[in-house]
Amino acid sequence: MQSANMLLRRIVRSSVLPFAAQHGMKKDSFPLSRALSLSLCLKQDKSCEPSEKLDLDEWKKVMKSGLQEEVSETVSEPKELSSLAAARETLEMWRLAGRAVPENISEEQLKAFMECPSKSAKKKYLKYLHIKELHKKNDRRKMDEKRERRLEAQEQASKTDETKKNSFLCMWSSTMDKAYNWRAAQSMIFGQPLVFDMSYEKEMSVREVTNTVKQIVMSESCNRRSVDPFHIHFCNFKDDSLYHREFVKNYGEAWDKLLITVTDQCYTEIFPKDKLIYLTADSPKVMKTFDHDKIYIVGSMVDKSIKTGVSLARAKRLGLETAALPLEKYLLWSTGAKNLTLDQMMHILLTLKDTADWKKALEFVPKRKYCGFVNKPVKELKKSLDLINTLKLGKGRGEVEKQFARNYPKKYKVK
Amino acid sequence: VQPPEKPLQAEEWNKLREDFQLPEVFEEVMLNSMIRCNSPIDVAKSLLTHLARRNGDIAYNVLLKYLTLCVQQAQVSEIRDVYDIMKGRFKILESGAYNLLIKGLSNSDQWRMALTLLEEVKKVMIPSRKCYESCIKAASRHQEMKLAFELYNEMLAKDVVPTLDVLQSFFDFSRGMKDAELQKELFGILLYLRDNQIYPHRTFMRSIKLWFESLPGGNWRGRLTKIKDSGQCPVCNHQLEDSNLTEEEYSKLSERIIRDVIHGTDTYRKTSPKEFEAFQTFVESRPPFDIVIDGLNVSHIKSRKMQCENLFDAVNYLAKENAQLLVLGRKHMLMNSSNWKTEMMKEMQNKADFFFAENISEDDAFLLYATLRSGKHCRFVTRDFLRDHKACLSDSLTRHLFRKWQRGHQIAFSPSAQGRSINFLPAFRYDCVVQTTGDTWHIPYKDVFEEKYSYQVPRKWLCIQQK
Repeated sequence: MQSANMLLRRIVRSSVLPFAAQHGMKKDSFPLSRALSLSLCLKQDKSCEPSEKLDLDEWKKVMKSGLQEEVSETVSEPKELSSLAAARETLEMWRLAGRAVPENISEEQLKAFMECPSKSAKKKYLKYLHIKELHKKNDRRKMDEKRERRLEAQEQASKTDETKKNSFLCMWSSTMDKAYNWRAAQSMIFGQPLVFDMSYEKEMSVREVTNTVKQIVMSESCNRRSVDPFHIHFCNFKDDSLYHREFVKNYGEAWDKLLITVTDQCYTEIFPKDKLIYLTADSPKVMKTFDHDKIYIVGSMVDKSIKTGVSLARAKRLGLETAALPLEKYLLWSTGAKNLTLDQMMHILLTLKDTADWKKALEFVPKRKYCGFVNKPVKELKKSLDLINTLKLGKGRGEVEKQFARNYPKKYKVK
Repeated sequence: VQPPEKPLQAEEWNKLREDFQLPEVFEEVMLNSMIRCNSPIDVAKSLLTHLARRNGDIAYNVLLKYLTLCVQQAQVSEIRDVYDIMKGRFKILESGAYNLLIKGLSNSDQWRMALTLLEEVKKVMIPSRKCYESCIKAASRHQEMKLAFELYNEMLAKDVVPTLDVLQSFFDFSRGMKDAELQKELFGILLYLRDNQIYPHRTFMRSIKLWFESLPGGNWRGRLTKIKDSGQCPVCNHQLEDSNLTEEEYSKLSERIIRDVIHGTDTYRKTSPKEFEAFQTFVESRPPFDIVIDGLNVSHIKSRKMQCENLFDAVNYLAKENAQLLVLGRKHMLMNSSNWKTEMMKEMQNKADFFFAENISEDDAFLLYATLRSGKHCRFVTRDFLRDHKACLSDSLTRHLFRKWQRGHQIAFSPSAQGRSINFLPAFRYDCVVQTTGDTWHIPYKDVFEEKYSYQVPRKWLCIQQK
């Protein structure tokens, strides 16, 4: 028996490769590592082969049997699907294929998807919906976990049964709200007006309008909480425009109770022209001080896609004075657009109004955009810095100038 | 992750799965690595069997990846099996699956099945470019040129843009065939290149040349050449088409440019109506110009300190032959600063007319307006390719006219090595597109294949003559 086995082993080992090559990989593949165990299952030789063969195509049988059950269930389906239903089916298949597609999609969203002008727009929209859905799921999961933890903690607390004694008065937030509203009401009668120009709906996409409204909501709230609020006007505000709908979505019922002036007239009709100043980053004129008698206008526009010159065009058309914040003058600018968001503008203007301090006001410009604050204009600084460099390093004047010009403003650091 | 070399049993797969970091995505990762390493198909099959036994069902994305592997290894019977399974299991398949199926089937002898699949896709969505291309290549390979051209025309009708690869394949597979219809269709492709101002690359050009020369009885001969400046072909002595536009085209283009580019949606964004009107009166009041120069663009050609000198040199060079010059500048040039000296400015103003726009205005619009109003002979000097202005034009025909006009009227320039002189590249007098006169074809070609449209006009041409 042993010798027979040994013989068999030798035969198998020497002849496995040509054997496999003859019959091809599909049919009878005798893996080399199985040569040793082959001698043990020589009797079951025949049964090994078909079981291996069955192995490889078994999945097809499983799938097809599953199919036949399904086919017998569904009798006859209408073959023609409407375009919306077909789109929904395609989206479902894409999701199964592993692409970034949301699970549930509403009719509105489906229509917006169909109206996307190009393939990449469709892809981006689906990805956005997918990520939004993921965030919602995560938030819900976290909230559930938090609730569970709170319930547990409550149980434990009720077990120990402690009474808490506090010497602080209970300060409800509604009291604070009332105080802020009083101040806002006062500003409506006595305060300095600040105008938000709401005529940019045509130039923005839907997403940009939503962002604008969110920024305005933030700026309105920080205005209300300040010491001396502005009297906010929304001018050129059409009823039932996209702005209006977004505001109602954000504020809900509080929209009717807000203490601001909303009108569809233009600001030139409400205020005299010589008192208006349009604040825009494209303006060639730089603001020097905050004027308490003038009325400043801010364009309610978010430019995710570049819109140079649009707000300046508006001001030019109406013949108004324009001004830009002195960002170049006071900050060593690094990288970033000089267009600031609406709530940053509100903070800056409020701080300027209360303290005429540019340093404090320009704190609200995002720190990543600049790398230093200078009190004196940079040009005057340049000469003194050059002098310092020549004395320190002993290099020629021309070289130092070149170096300065090359490195400023990105990497220059005051030593 | 390395895929195994041979099919494994269920327990071995399970063990691998446990050892893996993220067991949920184990199948996907394993199949991805199999595709990358081109593993034998049996290994994938054993994985699928294990999955089927464990879950009773196989997920759609796993089936897709298996299909990718089959297509990669050209296993046609497997592809058909997968297709049958998918078709029974899901109501409709998505674009990725169809692309793979059609690609796999069209490379085999069951390519007619790919055509039936294409019909199926058409019911649900517009088939992608890849689907059409695989089918066209399959039909061409099997000498069914009529069918291939039907598919090609359908593709164009649905606004699916064909790649140059497919166009080349038409010429490759039609070599030596004598058929008047086929010849007309291929000429149609060349006209398509002409209409869309596409320049073939070298291999494509060679393919076209070989096809022409292989036409039995046609006696076509092709030669590579360079066209002389006058527009005459040195091989066949034929004069190429003029780069000038007809009167009608010209007036349409200028009207469109003024409407879309200069006024656009808001004149105030680029300039102001008052300033533009002042410019219009200025242009009307002067005799027509010969050359319009973008002052700032020219002055920035070299170092910043020599701005005024650069412009001075350019004006001096162009003022030879007593040409009427217009230079567009900005108001800050009039202020006597270190960059712009008043004496040089005064001297320049003796040789050319100047118009100074506001410092914040965009002067490209003025450039275009002055050139267009001065007539067809007027050329403009700038290095800017005016891409943003071309994009403002609303329809493709106007865009073609704009490009044609730009090729014929723009004088670009580059700094030269010696001293202060500037090299001016004169505008083309002949039109640089595929052209024909019935018995000659002239085709400009590029050396390298470039994906995006390049503004560099090719200088090499293929001249094909019928003797």
